[in-house]
Amino acid sequence: MKPAPFTYHRPASLAEALALLRTHGPAAKPIAGGQSLGPMLNMRLARPGHLVDLNDLIELDRVRVKDDMLEIGALTRHHRLANAPEVQRSLPLLGAAAASIGHYAIRQRGTIGGSLAHADPAAQLPLIAVTLGATLVISGPAGTREVAAADFLQSIMTVDLRDGELITALRFPLPVGDLWAFEAFSRRHGDFALVSVALSFARDAEGKIDALRLGLGGVDTVPLRLPEIEARAQGRLVDVDTIRDLAAAAAAAIAPEDSEQVPAVYRRELAETLVIRAFQSALTREEGA
Amino acid sequence: MSGDFTEIGRALPRKEDRRLVSGRGRYLDDLAFPGALHVSFVRSPHAHARILDIDSAEAAEMPGVVGIFTGRDLDQMTTRLRLAPPIEGLQPTELTTLPIEKVRFHGDPVVCVVATDRYLAEDAAECVTVEYDQLPAVTSITEAFAPDAALVDDSLTSNMVSHQSLCVGDPAARRAEAHRVVEARFSLHRHTHVPLETRGCVADWDDGRAHLNMHIGNQVPHPLRSQLAARLGLSESQVTVMSPDVGGAFGQKIALYREELTVAALSRHLRRPVRWREDRMENLMSAAHAREYECRTRTSVSETGRILGLELEIDEDFGGYCFYPANYMARVIALIMTGPYRIQDYAYEVRVALTNKCGAGPMRAPMAITSWVMEGTIDAIARDLDLDPVEVRRINALGPEDLPYKMPTGELLEDVSPRETLEIAVDAIDVAAFRARQAQARAKGRYLGLGLCTVIESTTYGSEFYKSAGIPGSGHESAWVRIEPSGAVNASVGLMGTGQGYESPLSQAVAEGLGVRSEDVTVHMGNTNIAPYGMGSRGGRGATAGGGTLYLCALKARERVLAIAASMLDLNDAGGLRMRAGQIERMIGEDWQETGLALTDIARRAYLDPLALPEGITPGLDFSHSYDPPAMTYSNSTHACEVEVDPQTGAITIDRYLVAEDSGTVLNPIVVRGQQQGAIAMGLSGALLEQVIYDGTGQNLSATLADYLVASPNELPEFEILHHNTPNRRTPAGIKGMAEGGVMGAIGVLANAVSDALAPRGVTIERLPLTPQSIRALLREAAPSSTKRTQP
Amino acid sequence: MTAPTHDPLTLSLSVNGETHDVRVPARKLLSDVLRDDLGLTGTHVGCEHGVCGACTVLIDGRPARACLTFAAQMEGHEVTTVEAMGRPDALSALQQALHEEHGLQCGFCTPGIVVTFEHYLRENPDPTAEEVRDVLSGNLCRCTGYQNIVAAVLKAAARMRGEAA
Ligand SMILES: Cc1cc2nc3c(=O)[nH]c(=O)nc-3n(C[C@H](O)[C@H](O)[C@H](O)COP(=O)(O)OP(=O)(O)OC[C@H]3O[C@@H](n4cnc5c(N)ncnc54)[C@H](O)[C@@H]3O)c2cc1C
Ligand code: FES
Ligand code: FES
Repeated sequence: MKPAPFTYHRPASLAEALALLRTHGPAAKPIAGGQSLGPMLNMRLARPGHLVDLNDLIELDRVRVKDDMLEIGALTRHHRLANAPEVQRSLPLLGAAAASIGHYAIRQRGTIGGSLAHADPAAQLPLIAVTLGATLVISGPAGTREVAAADFLQSIMTVDLRDGELITALRFPLPVGDLWAFEAFSRRHGDFALVSVALSFARDAEGKIDALRLGLGGVDTVPLRLPEIEARAQGRLVDVDTIRDLAAAAAAAIAPEDSEQVPAVYRRELAETLVIRAFQSALTREEGA
Repeated sequence: MSGDFTEIGRALPRKEDRRLVSGRGRYLDDLAFPGALHVSFVRSPHAHARILDIDSAEAAEMPGVVGIFTGRDLDQMTTRLRLAPPIEGLQPTELTTLPIEKVRFHGDPVVCVVATDRYLAEDAAECVTVEYDQLPAVTSITEAFAPDAALVDDSLTSNMVSHQSLCVGDPAARRAEAHRVVEARFSLHRHTHVPLETRGCVADWDDGRAHLNMHIGNQVPHPLRSQLAARLGLSESQVTVMSPDVGGAFGQKIALYREELTVAALSRHLRRPVRWREDRMENLMSAAHAREYECRTRTSVSETGRILGLELEIDEDFGGYCFYPANYMARVIALIMTGPYRIQDYAYEVRVALTNKCGAGPMRAPMAITSWVMEGTIDAIARDLDLDPVEVRRINALGPEDLPYKMPTGELLEDVSPRETLEIAVDAIDVAAFRARQAQARAKGRYLGLGLCTVIESTTYGSEFYKSAGIPGSGHESAWVRIEPSGAVNASVGLMGTGQGYESPLSQAVAEGLGVRSEDVTVHMGNTNIAPYGMGSRGGRGATAGGGTLYLCALKARERVLAIAASMLDLNDAGGLRMRAGQIERMIGEDWQETGLALTDIARRAYLDPLALPEGITPGLDFSHSYDPPAMTYSNSTHACEVEVDPQTGAITIDRYLVAEDSGTVLNPIVVRGQQQGAIAMGLSGALLEQVIYDGTGQNLSATLADYLVASPNELPEFEILHHNTPNRRTPAGIKGMAEGGVMGAIGVLANAVSDALAPRGVTIERLPLTPQSIRALLREAAPSSTKRTQP
Repeated sequence: MTAPTHDPLTLSLSVNGETHDVRVPARKLLSDVLRDDLGLTGTHVGCEHGVCGACTVLIDGRPARACLTFAAQMEGHEVTTVEAMGRPDALSALQQALHEEHGLQCGFCTPGIVVTFEHYLRENPDPTAEEVRDVLSGNLCRCTGYQNIVAAVLKAAARMRGEAA
């Protein structure tokens, strides 16, 4: 289990990194935290001729709140994301999701850009990005473009990244409702979730749901945001009946892959249960606060 | 008895810790061999296929490649493994070092690439092309036994490689008279050992001496050396096996595997050191698997739940190759099935299937399923007759008045205490209080469950056992103890530790026998040039066979030491002398008093002034001893655990876990406690998470540690351990051995607890692992109220 | 597009406070370079896909998988291995607690655990058992069942805080 040979490049700036990617074309692959690419290289499931190391691009390791958005540099590590005060203040959902990724040592290295580019359908950060309507900032030979996370993630490990492009940042629109929850179910602590649920909403003066954002991971080839369910929730009281109804509707709205190991019906059940629990934990947290 | 010991039973921290905890252990890969070559194996991508052609021309030209070898090449350099013990119903098998005609499982090694480093070897391995003709894959016991099944081993008449049965008493008559006949089924899934250090070896052929130095982490240095020598056509004088520190084995490092033999043969062939480190994917796919069984019981019972007769069927999926006689593991299950219970009318039928999967081998508690089957059967009786499962256990359990007890298979139980451990466990977990909590929880739609599982653990297999089982081999162990001229004490035994922490408990056995402090004893293991020929480590024999032999050998040494002491003190005999902490003491009146004479003085006399020794005593202080334990020794325990099942997700939480355990005289309580915890953890991890998965075409889908799930600390409970140790009167110092019962109990107790939790839904667990999706599947199909339902 | 080069790189690595010059191919894993080229064999290799944690080292003071890192990436960074964290005759508080609590059996997982928690306890001197288990989930141990490891970490933490334990 040793990687195939490659030439190693260590650009000092974004411009240099982009130039290297351009020069080497499809044979080049960027490496950030290496927590997903590393195993694939070792198993020779990935065999780039050129490895372009992004770890010196410290300008991409940043967290900042700008007006109506939270901007996270692509090289920001999960551990930082989980602990940054800016994130805890403005988007605690993102911080909590980051804190639940893998294990402590994995979170010290893994980056948000890598997680989105890798596009595991069960990964936390793509789910949060889709649920909260984040935008990716991408630089490449044709300059810089922005793309919605939901459009960027196309299928299992398939994304809208063209040759020579790099993700430089994610932008999360602010503010979002102050009630939130992240629920994930995995067989073993720290493993990729079988199903995960992210939600955030606000309550108006009468206690009715406003601006629900609801996303599900692990139920399709990409994380799904469920706009119909969000619309269905608008203006309803958050009571047991509403929560049950929304959860059942969410479970009905998805069509997970069916396999002998994890049957579709099981994922659907999990989705329903986790949506209920997510609402409950959002409410419990608010009561606690 | 144990009250008299000063060294045995001490909570002496482990001697190996300092080097291991500071990163200074020496495991196989830590040994440097300048100029060593590295190998990488090309493995079969198919479950079952004919090898048509192997083209290694391109690979042979790659950088660093020294040679590329196939099954045909190895067949010239080694002999084949023929297993044909005279056991009725067992088909003889023979296998080549690497496959020549066909591959039998996904991951079967086909070609060995030798290169100057591992990276280059893997580059070349990728470029070897093997042309296959795919054959139908046999991936289950049912398929294997189907009349038109493809033959996994073309030389056999069927895939049923082994078939035995036994009938004692008259179970059919008992069935006819029974109040009820209760049937139960148990399906255990394929596990694998996952030692954190994978397999590996360095073969270092010394061309001048024509001698093979084989460095290999393993449990049985001497038997391994015998095998290596035989298969390489060398004499045992030409092979030294050396085991460095080992990162776990759990039964996976007993057999001489094909890869290891290949490496040894190639070192001789190339006259260079050659090394192999199995990678994790190879380990999960191709090392050895275990535990895949289907069992059925049919129990004749009286109205009160008394067992009148038991009939058992066991089918085992043995995989593609026999590295052990195919009846080896299943037979023990059948032999000890009745375990803690009074049963005399008993029949079993054991069938073993070859399939296109990785070969099976013993894994920590090869008989692990036994306790689940017996205790699950007890619970089935209780359910069927609507009796309290504790009561059903009580009326069937062996008590002191029943001992010694001859099981229907002829196995003799002595000095065991299953009824006592049952009562201790029932008491400690407070069944009555639990039932009250359970009822309250059920009223709120929560599913709590309590499981019990009493274990009779076969620990040490003596030669008599092998003889009666028809397996050639010995159960003895050998040791030497040497007091050096300085008084330093060295000892050795044929065992090899793979993480158990032998160094402290075995030095305690020597220290006790001799009369020195354990800290002053060094036990050497793992090098066949140093260690006496012993049978090594397997099962729970370490303490009884290893510790017992060392203890007896040390007693022999003490006798001599005291005889010399007596002469130095001008006494007629050593009757009133003893040695404590290396000091000779003499009984004067009622008291032991110092004599001023120490072991160092005696050693000096024995080596440097031998003419002053009493007549008949030869110079030096060098002793050896061998010991053959009773046919079988047994430990016992009762496990109890409380679980909660989340009916929505199917997740299982273990709320409380305790075990009441009788493992006889304990050499070192720290080490024993660690073994208990580790064994239970392995059992729970297996029952909850682990599973080797093959798809219908025989592709292995669980070849990474992200797919084959080993428990993290978050899935495991704290273990409460209660002791009820009764020494075995037939073994040295009353030692019984242990380390596997935890696995047996954990599997059974968890399955039983989950069945108890789901009883209101009429669900019974018949199939492991207890994945959340399988629990949900059961609940989905179960009626909301209580109609009986079992797993698909 | 140029073909990948097999030519070794000359690297200057700072490991345990010392600078080492090595010539290794770009693809050589940090775990292999530490072990083969620098002789620091305390870093163990148990899976090479990031799950087991046996290879955990500190990179610039923070735990990381050496099997998911290339030595070439480590120029300009400080790598710390278990060898810097105590010796057989001078164990660290954590190592001593692991010894006393019987927190290891075969010891193959142990260096990764020591490295992880030497760092973790510095940042989190007073963790709960729950937090310790959460962090420990990144280090598989097949032998112990973890209970004693958790106890050892808590004991070491107490001692490092200056409390008697
Ligand atoms: C044991 C273990 C458990 C894990 N558990 C989880 C889990 O529970 N949940 C979870 O979400 N993840 C988990 N991960 C994966 C982890 O989160 C990774 O960090 C993440 O998926 C990838 O981030 P990275 O920075 O390590 O990317 P890398 O591994 O370096 O790269 C991944 C991919 O992204 C590309 N890439 C990286 N950065 C950029 C960029 N800026 N622009 C364009 N392309 C880029 C690379 O070329 C590569 O294709 C786990 C990993 C391990 C080893
Ligand atoms: S060897 Fe690196 S995590 Fe297992
Ligand atoms: S002590 Fe063996 S793996 Fe942890």
